[in-house]
Amino acid sequence: MFFQILFRVLTSSDLWQAALQFSALLLLPALGGVISERSGVTNIAMEGMMLTGAYAGVMTALSTHSLLVGVLGAIIAGGFMALIHAIVSINFKANQIVSGIAINIAALGLTNFLLFVQTGGQGVPSLASSLRLPVVTWGPLAKIPFLGPILFQQNIIFYVALLILLGIQFLLFRTNIGLRIRAVGEHPQAADTAGVNVRLVRYLCVISSGLLSGLAGAFLALGISGIFISNMTAGVGYIALAAVIFGKYIPLGAAGACLIFGLGEALSVRLQDTNISPNLLSTLPYILTLIALVGLVGRTTPPAADGIPYEPGSE
Amino acid sequence: MAVPTVQQSGPEQRTPASNRLLWIRRLGASIGRPVFAVVLAMVAGIIIIMITSPGSPGDRFTEAISAYQALFTGSFGSLQSLSFTLVYVTPLIFAGLSVAIAFRAGLFNIGAEGQLAVGAITASTIGIHATNWPGWVLIPVLIVAGAFAGAVWGGIVGILKAWRGAHEVVTTIMLNWIAFFVADYLINGPLLDPNLANSTRPLPPQATFPEISVFYNNTLGPFLPKIAQPATYLVDVTFFFALIALVVYWFLISRTTFGYEVRVIGQNPKAARYAGISTKRNIFLVMAIAGAFSGLGGVFHLMGQFPYYLTGSTFRIDTVGFDAIGVALLGHTTAIGVLFASLLFGGLRQGAGLMQLNANVPGDLIYIIQALVLFSIAAEFLPAIRRALPKWMILRPRPSAVATDGALTITDLAENGNGGAQNGEAGGGASHLSDSTVEHSPGQMQTAEEE
Repeated sequence: MFFQILFRVLTSSDLWQAALQFSALLLLPALGGVISERSGVTNIAMEGMMLTGAYAGVMTALSTHSLLVGVLGAIIAGGFMALIHAIVSINFKANQIVSGIAINIAALGLTNFLLFVQTGGQGVPSLASSLRLPVVTWGPLAKIPFLGPILFQQNIIFYVALLILLGIQFLLFRTNIGLRIRAVGEHPQAADTAGVNVRLVRYLCVISSGLLSGLAGAFLALGISGIFISNMTAGVGYIALAAVIFGKYIPLGAAGACLIFGLGEALSVRLQDTNISPNLLSTLPYILTLIALVGLVGRTTPPAADGIPYEPGSE
Repeated sequence: MAVPTVQQSGPEQRTPASNRLLWIRRLGASIGRPVFAVVLAMVAGIIIIMITSPGSPGDRFTEAISAYQALFTGSFGSLQSLSFTLVYVTPLIFAGLSVAIAFRAGLFNIGAEGQLAVGAITASTIGIHATNWPGWVLIPVLIVAGAFAGAVWGGIVGILKAWRGAHEVVTTIMLNWIAFFVADYLINGPLLDPNLANSTRPLPPQATFPEISVFYNNTLGPFLPKIAQPATYLVDVTFFFALIALVVYWFLISRTTFGYEVRVIGQNPKAARYAGISTKRNIFLVMAIAGAFSGLGGVFHLMGQFPYYLTGSTFRIDTVGFDAIGVALLGHTTAIGVLFASLLFGGLRQGAGLMQLNANVPGDLIYIIQALVLFSIAAEFLPAIRRALPKWMILRPRPSAVATDGALTITDLAENGNGGAQNGEAGGGASHLSDSTVEHSPGQMQTAEEE
């Protein structure tokens, strides 16, 4: 009985489409996390940056009646939250985890506060389809049985996320800039001596993590849901954090983790008529990450200088 | 106010007079920063209200003031609202102690919420299935079971940290979400009340704690004047357990060998190892105790507050575990500090409702205030601002540091070696930045700035 349902679910293109969509949603903040952690700044605030992005995206799209401006607004809002994190943790050398928690709390408070002020407690209406991120259908390719709807009929951000993934993987491991980023995260003193501007690199990396999270917020609010609801990210940013660690701080690794987590999430929605609880299935990403941390499937170690503020001239 | 226990310092060989002076100075330093953080956040809150409310600047200011009045009236304005506030304060104290004891060992316990959830759900599971046990057996069993479950949840973190080197921040976040989902599964599965959607069956009456006022009327009431309408004062007797926990924490940290070892590990792990202190064992113990504190917070809230059952997805939305981080930081991880910080955060939480009702300012403002408090503590704006002041305004003269030329050239080269464009971009940030570095490497940064 259970295996019949599982088989039926696993062979439906519907499931895989949803799984890939959710993976892409996780992938964007996860890539942001990878960049930020690689440069040596711990970022647990992707959740808050996404939420701010989602809110700003919906609000700017509604007020300007332009989807593009809405997406830009989301990206900028995410970047702004990241800028705060960067200033506090790089300039003021604050504890980056406290700062991250503060960003998450602030994002929740700020979005709820502004939502109440701007809509008078009514909440925002559902977005018109012209303000929603479109699904791209690749002509005849989308007609391929099974694979067509999965790969060639996805939201536009899905393809953007794939491009960004390849771009960041290339950037980090095949270019000079990537070498600098990794050097700053592993041994900032050495990087500094070699002429790398440690603070600038960290600033740019943290801000790009915010831009990516903001884009993910736009994907969630303007693409998948088409509405803004209070606290709508509901832990996605934390799953992305898990993906960063499970993927061993490598973009492609994080993408693989996002794929597993996305499949788990899609399954948990569709296996409701079996005895498996969707709640128990939702613990999968976190349990897998714990196992990865313990070292049963290859140990995960963060960059050496991750989370340590840089003091010029210190040992 | 009673703050002499703020910092336990080592033995000092000083004359009594300078001892007292030192004590006052330390008192000022340890109270000054938290108070400054709160004031800064409150002022920022006023600015936010003024920006978002309509009318002339004067109207906006009165709006902000009336919002704060409502916030205060709603939290500490009357005995009744105080009793509501204390309902929030009880779990905050437990969770705050949980975070604080971990901080003492240099560990970051973000998992208070998950440990609290595990404690509450364990107590709930036992309480529901042991309905015919007498209260004097059931109550201790539930308390111990909840504390133990929390200790297991925290202990896992300790074990992973001590023996596998897994960072506690990551493992606590993962364990939080596992706890939330498992709790939701249990609430909507085996523990579900058939008559209620999304809630467990309530605890049997003999396993619950009465309100303080009811308790007073039943015990001392016959001899002393009774409290009228006792049920309107919501705070229950578990608040006293929270006070006991504060004393236990103080004793544990400052009067036992274990507490001493924990503090050494937190301040200097290397020194602890040289002194023969078992770091691994103590890390495990600290995290287990931290988990037990949080677990107790969950249990006591379940047993003390109507409706004595758990509802699905409450823990996920609940922010006690995260507020606790603010509580511990604001309270300098001392028992008395945790108490006052819990009162502040609990008061904010309770007052938010009336603020929204009376002043039409969204209650979510308090989250922004809390976040700003966290930023302010973490970033240490106060010392940064003091450093930014002109020299004659600084009361305490700092020892002048000798500039080290070697270090200067390194930073100098690094700045120049990166090309003009990048330098210019980072320049704005870097000049503020140097202020905050002065404390650690004064001479070098100041000279670097003059360049």
